[in-house]
Amino acid sequence: MFTLKSNSGIPIYRQLVEQVRRMVASGQLAPGAALPSVRDLALKHTVHPMTISKAYSQLEAEGLLERNRGKPMTVAEPRRSQTGLAPRLRQIEPQVDALVLAAKQLQLSEAEIAKLLKKIWEEES
Amino acid sequence: MTEAILAARHVGKSFASKHVLDDISARVGAGSVVGVLGKNGAGKTTLLEIALGFSPASSGSVALWGHESASLPSAVKGRIGYVPQQDELVPLLTGTQQIALNAALHKRWDHELIARLVREWEVPLDRRIAALSGGERQKISVLLALGHRPDLLVLDEPLASLDPIARRQFLGQLLEITADQGRAVIFSSHIVSDLERVANEVWILREGRMAFEGELDALKESVVRLHLSARDKFPERLGIAHTLHEEVDGNTASVSVSGWSADAAAQLISRLGVAIEVEPLDLEDIFLEMHR
Repeated sequence: MFTLKSNSGIPIYRQLVEQVRRMVASGQLAPGAALPSVRDLALKHTVHPMTISKAYSQLEAEGLLERNRGKPMTVAEPRRSQTGLAPRLRQIEPQVDALVLAAKQLQLSEAEIAKLLKKIWEEES
Repeated sequence: MTEAILAARHVGKSFASKHVLDDISARVGAGSVVGVLGKNGAGKTTLLEIALGFSPASSGSVALWGHESASLPSAVKGRIGYVPQQDELVPLLTGTQQIALNAALHKRWDHELIARLVREWEVPLDRRIAALSGGERQKISVLLALGHRPDLLVLDEPLASLDPIARRQFLGQLLEITADQGRAVIFSSHIVSDLERVANEVWILREGRMAFEGELDALKESVVRLHLSARDKFPERLGIAHTLHEEVDGNTASVSVSGWSADAAAQLISRLGVAIEVEPLDLEDIFLEMHR
């Protein structure tokens, strides 16, 4: 179900977080779908259980997964995980980070970027 | 914070006038799998031997469950499993006899677990130890350390002679052990990819000092290689904070740093006015960068 590479510079828990995010976004993991238990996934991939639980906890905090007492974790209903302002902002943050980094490298100011953003925004709508 | 299974405080060790260990502090909590990395002679075996009370520290101390390791009560000793680098098997015994001998020495012995592992790991028991290969002997050593279901399992290079399939089975077994509450594993290995797979914490020893002690994920997130390029030629030394190694070539440079963060990136860009590409590093690369 998941591809976890140990000899990677990306920590294993982050690989898992990113894969679950993508599978939820693409609908491969539908709302209500159950995820493997921490123990099963850890033993299957021979990785430390804490690595898996760290990823699940992060996905829960993002509202993507739901913890169910004594049962496997499931994919949350999208309206709870995606309509809140904070989770949606969090989703777009990496792109904004990249934008800011590129802007600084090109020595463009915040105002210049804001102006460009406004122009493109208005053209799109 | 839960009670530490192992707590090392400022451990030092010298043989004659040579410092083998210098000011080592570390902590192992329940549920941890600690991978110990270091070049030959970095002090790994010495540290493990001091931790278990086999060898005295020249300064500082180690406590296991709060007991000084130099004077462990036998009940505490019974909670430890140890696989030394050089196995201590009796060459004239068969595998079956060796296991029976060790089982007799312990009050608790999990015959069922051992029988299951003998099957799964395909351990030959009917031949004399003297006639076994290095890998077969290593499997028996590990079995002997697991038989009394230790709460702390310490393994010094347990993987070196095992084939990839046996190694993977063995690593799975380590994880099953720590999945039980309250137990921990410390193992040293030069096979970095194995250690990287199952360990949640790492100790990196360098010339007798602890170069890193902490979570593997944190290490991977903080040590990266930066590829820099600028319009103009770089100065000979870039002076980037926490540099492990740098190579400057005209207007490009590659620099490995520890302590990387988004803030560090922003500072660097404003100071040097460069384009940065960040390359994450696996544990082997991190280890190599720390030794350049």
